[in-house]
Amino acid sequence: MIDDEKFFAWLDGELPVADAARIAEQVGADPALIARAAEHRALAASLRAGFAPLMEGKMPPPRFAPAEVVDLSARRKQWGARGSFGLPQWAAMAATLAVGIVAGHFVGGRDSSPIQSLDGQLVAAASLDEALNSQLASSEQGGAVRIGLTFRDKAGGICRTFSENGATGLACRDGDHWRVDGLFGAAEGQQSDYRMAAGADPRIASMIDERINGDPFGPAAERAARGDSWR
Amino acid sequence: MTSLSPFDSELAAVWPRLRRFAYALSRDAADADDLAQMTAEKAFKSFDQFQPGTRFDSWVFRICRTVWIDTVRSRGRRSAHEAPSEAAEHLGHDPTAATEAVIDLGKAMQALQQLPDEQREVVALILIDGFGYREAAEILAQPIGTVSSRLVRGRQALLAMLGEGS
Repeated sequence: MIDDEKFFAWLDGELPVADAARIAEQVGADPALIARAAEHRALAASLRAGFAPLMEGKMPPPRFAPAEVVDLSARRKQWGARGSFGLPQWAAMAATLAVGIVAGHFVGGRDSSPIQSLDGQLVAAASLDEALNSQLASSEQGGAVRIGLTFRDKAGGICRTFSENGATGLACRDGDHWRVDGLFGAAEGQQSDYRMAAGADPRIASMIDERINGDPFGPAAERAARGDSWR
Repeated sequence: MTSLSPFDSELAAVWPRLRRFAYALSRDAADADDLAQMTAEKAFKSFDQFQPGTRFDSWVFRICRTVWIDTVRSRGRRSAHEAPSEAAEHLGHDPTAATEAVIDLGKAMQALQQLPDEQREVVALILIDGFGYREAAEILAQPIGTVSSRLVRGRQALLAMLGEGS
């Protein structure tokens, strides 16, 4: 008679060679044990198969340092149409944004969420949408959201950088919406740096470099663009 | 694209397994993703305590288990369910049933949730991830004998659940 622990240790390849050979012999001579070994092997295989989808690497690992540019247009497809999340959580998401969102930080469909998912794209909503629509970097900015640079991208659309509560991002006009193309939390210890204008973050700066056509708007161009509904 | 920091590349290598472990422990996908994320953050913050030359995967799984015990496990539900008593030993059913059972992630998670926590973590480490008994015992800070007996009970209960009626 083989005790359970020994039987499974054998099944799991945990026994020293001599012991394993002895158990293998005993199992081989007993149809009930052969069946038992088979059903437990199948059980383990079946469990692993159940969890196999997680091994396909569809969810990228969070990144901590050094900071990398996270281009949301690339990540957006992975998220699909989802809910929305709240501004105060941005900072906590840090550079781990993609994971942060899927990690249950959604506040699904909450009307006041500053970023919402629309047809698989992340768009500004509520206070963020309002700030992007109406706020000028050249005027007093008393609200929670601060607007940084406004510029025209290579496709001819208007983009604006913004910051709030340690997070900084880039949104580009897309029809009637502001499509959020980049969003970064402050790295630890950098919080105070975000008192600077949005766009100071190197990752945002890098996104701007890639996209900008010409110079950022001055106060007059910014005001005129607002008058023209950011077209 | 910037090259990865030592921490990020270690994490990237173990990330799919870490997520799988988190899913095996957790009640649902939201909890599991939360757990994996919190584990990554905690590991990053304490990376200076990681000893080079030792296994990063064991280290990060240990953190994951601690986070699970401290937070996710306690917030979501009550303490361990007891495995149904008839699961202790299940004889006489068709041994091919488990072979034929194609289970999806939801069903696998549901089955693991029926196990007491101490059996679930052992099953997750050894049966699903493939850690050896010794490594699992180190991660769990338990004697090998304890790990081994929990594994026996866990897989017998799972067989009773998944091998039958599927």
